[in-house]
Amino acid sequence: MAEVEETLKRIEAHKGVIGTIVVNAEGIPIRTNLDNSTAVQYAGLLRHLTMLARSTVRDIDPQNDLIVLRIRTKKYEIMVAPENGFLLIVIQNPCE
Amino acid sequence: MSTSLAKEETKKRRTLVLRPSSRAVNISVSGIHGVNQSTRHTNSVVGFSSRKSFSLGGGSKVLEKSAVQTPRQAARVFDEDDNDVTPQPLYQADPGAVQAKASRFFVDEISAGSASEQTTATGSFTMPFSRSVLGSSRISSQSTIESTNEEIEDTFTKRDIPINFPDVQGKRDTVKEQVTEEMLKELIHVYICETDSMSLLDIPSTFVSVDADDAETITEKNNQYAEVCRNRMGNDKYVDRSMQTLNGAAKNKHVQTDSMAMVDTATTVTTWDMYDTLRGPEQDNTVHNPEPEKVEYPEAVMDTNRGAERSVSVGSTASTASAASSLKEEVFGSSVNAESDLQLIMLSENFQQCLLVMERNILRNTFQPKLAAYRQLPVLEDLGSPVKPGTMEQRQEDTEKSRSQALERLWAFSCELSRGCSVSSMAWNKRNPDLLAVGYGEFDSSTQRAGLVCCWSLKNPTWPERVFHCDSAVTSLDFSANNPSQLAVGMHDGSIAIYNVHSQDNKSPVISSSECPNKHLGPVWQLRWTQQELSITGDEKVEALFSVSADGRITKWFVFNNGLDCIDLMKLKRIHNAKKKAGGNNTEKKSESVLSALTPGLCFDFHPTDSSLYLVGTWEGFIHKCSCSNSQQFLETFRKHFCPVNCIAWCPLSPDVFLSCSSDWTIQLWKQDCLNPVLGFTSTQMAVYDIKWSPKWATVFGAINEGQLEIWDLNSSILDPVAVQPAAPGVKMKSLLFATQTDCVLVGDSDGQVTVYQLKNFSVGESSQVNILEGLIHSAASR
Repeated sequence: MAEVEETLKRIEAHKGVIGTIVVNAEGIPIRTNLDNSTAVQYAGLLRHLTMLARSTVRDIDPQNDLIVLRIRTKKYEIMVAPENGFLLIVIQNPCE
Repeated sequence: MSTSLAKEETKKRRTLVLRPSSRAVNISVSGIHGVNQSTRHTNSVVGFSSRKSFSLGGGSKVLEKSAVQTPRQAARVFDEDDNDVTPQPLYQADPGAVQAKASRFFVDEISAGSASEQTTATGSFTMPFSRSVLGSSRISSQSTIESTNEEIEDTFTKRDIPINFPDVQGKRDTVKEQVTEEMLKELIHVYICETDSMSLLDIPSTFVSVDADDAETITEKNNQYAEVCRNRMGNDKYVDRSMQTLNGAAKNKHVQTDSMAMVDTATTVTTWDMYDTLRGPEQDNTVHNPEPEKVEYPEAVMDTNRGAERSVSVGSTASTASAASSLKEEVFGSSVNAESDLQLIMLSENFQQCLLVMERNILRNTFQPKLAAYRQLPVLEDLGSPVKPGTMEQRQEDTEKSRSQALERLWAFSCELSRGCSVSSMAWNKRNPDLLAVGYGEFDSSTQRAGLVCCWSLKNPTWPERVFHCDSAVTSLDFSANNPSQLAVGMHDGSIAIYNVHSQDNKSPVISSSECPNKHLGPVWQLRWTQQELSITGDEKVEALFSVSADGRITKWFVFNNGLDCIDLMKLKRIHNAKKKAGGNNTEKKSESVLSALTPGLCFDFHPTDSSLYLVGTWEGFIHKCSCSNSQQFLETFRKHFCPVNCIAWCPLSPDVFLSCSSDWTIQLWKQDCLNPVLGFTSTQMAVYDIKWSPKWATVFGAINEGQLEIWDLNSSILDPVAVQPAAPGVKMKSLLFATQTDCVLVGDSDGQVTVYQLKNFSVGESSQVNILEGLIHSAASR
């Protein structure tokens, strides 16, 4: 578990990473380094989108599954990894 | 009872004598009858209607009677002719049935065939009938068949008597038959047939034909009646009297039922949903919790390709390790603590995998240009970043400069763990060309620090994938080709360990040679896994681990009894040493200076095609060519260097050509059958530590000395290196490795960093490089 913690900290310390959010199965952010309201907003919005993306991927081939969903916007990039009902959301500004 | 009344109507009225009898059952009945008797004298119409109203009072009397429960003598009614016209009870209780004490039957007669004023309804009563018997002549026959049970509501204010149904009680005594399987399977024939017609209401018409027999009587009666009506007004015989019907007290009763909870559910039929349901019992362990309200989804997920109409579902199960499980939300889940959630996912392996992928993604964003250059992919321009005016010019300059052969620094593998440790050796994984093992160890200084082995992945230059801590400084590394996850590590104290890099949990070496009695006593300067063909089977390539160390032995290792055991292939005997001992096993130091019969071997290399042939470079500066089959003698000795030979490398593309570098500042190019070097290269006056051929170009090789990295291209120049990369100040370069599939060079330095440089513009000439090399050698040799 310490390794996971370490990895998370490393991710947060990477260049350009604005924030990370870990969301549990109910859509509540359980670990984040952003402020709570932003985290809740991201969690709520991305949850639906991720499920939709996953449904799409699996509709095409049920043996396939979604690993990472990356949304590149003008200002930054949002990466969402669904797992086990949980979500890992990382927001990075790569060209900083 | 009504039969007798009916008789009364048609026949003359007779007086009926009421005689009490001892039948308790008839109490109620007789009570009514008694009432009837009293009102008989009045008008028939009135009598009928008033009977009802009076019977209420009679009923209450009867109730009182029954409540007291004294067995009363039942009344019997006899008419003038002493016919027993005691009305039969309409209800015959079963002799075996329990009669409730408080049971009470209230029979309300409804006689048919009377005048139209006759009300069949309850009128003032508010009693519901459970069954009522109507009909004139059938009653007596039917009274035994049907029972009239009427509930009496609590209209009687004085008493609240619970009403029981004796017949219901009677039914309680019947034995419940057990329903057995056979009974269920039995074929039961149900016959449906028409019942007899039951006449429920029969009102005979009041019209009589003129031709009927008693037409005259009836006409006369009608006339009489008309006269009576005419005489009614002002006649003493007729009295107007008003009556008031008593209204029973009404009671409201409320009944409440549980409201039915209506729930809307919607579900999608998706391909994966069906797939998961089919595979469901195999893999899913958790309960499905359907999500009821997802009303906003149907608009979003209309997939017109499918054609079928759907509404979105969210069905998911907690996915197991396999990725084929469906997604479902657990909204209903009992509120779990956020803390325990966090614990749960922290420990989950999937989450770790998730983090790994995420980290790589982030890094790829950062390193994308570099990695793309490494992999020789076009570098993507960042669309979001604003284009600065200065960069355009810079790019133009770059394109001009890039005509010449140059080195471009891409990135460096470094982390806090390795900072400060000197890189001693590097090796690529044989199966996964993105995996790099780097050994760190400080062995020049007197302090013996623990060594470190890090396995880096190209996808993550900031943190190694695997970290192994070793007991002593690491001096050499090699990955196995047959078992790509095995990494052999040679250490400064002479021990060799084999690590399994496959899983992250394995922190300790799988096999170690520390228990081997024949283990090396000096630092293992080089390790190599080499495939040696087995002559018997022919097909199988057995791999063996070879090592050369400072105690002068070249040994072949194999796994034995959970440890390593070795066979000496060759002992490097000293040449030009007066104290030479033949075949000496003696490695004892006689004095402070290291004078043993064996000379330390520093490097070796197996021939690329003939794996039984190898070259060894020694401390003395000699290069011996040896064979695996001959462990006593060297095949040949190449003498040129006068300082320790640091590295030997066969050319992978051109056979029989090899390079050697040594601390005497020179690099020598040899041909196998010539005892003198063909070409020699010197560029700076520093010891050359490492030399490697480029895997792609036969005329290109790289060399590092302490201060710089040199790339030589024999095609361009044999006097100077074509590209030179100076080391960072204060940092010494220690180790060199060419990337196998791309044109990049990795350099490890004493600060723990492994820097990746890209060779630019090393283009292939018109003819093959090998030919060029051969030509060069030929021309050089012929001088």
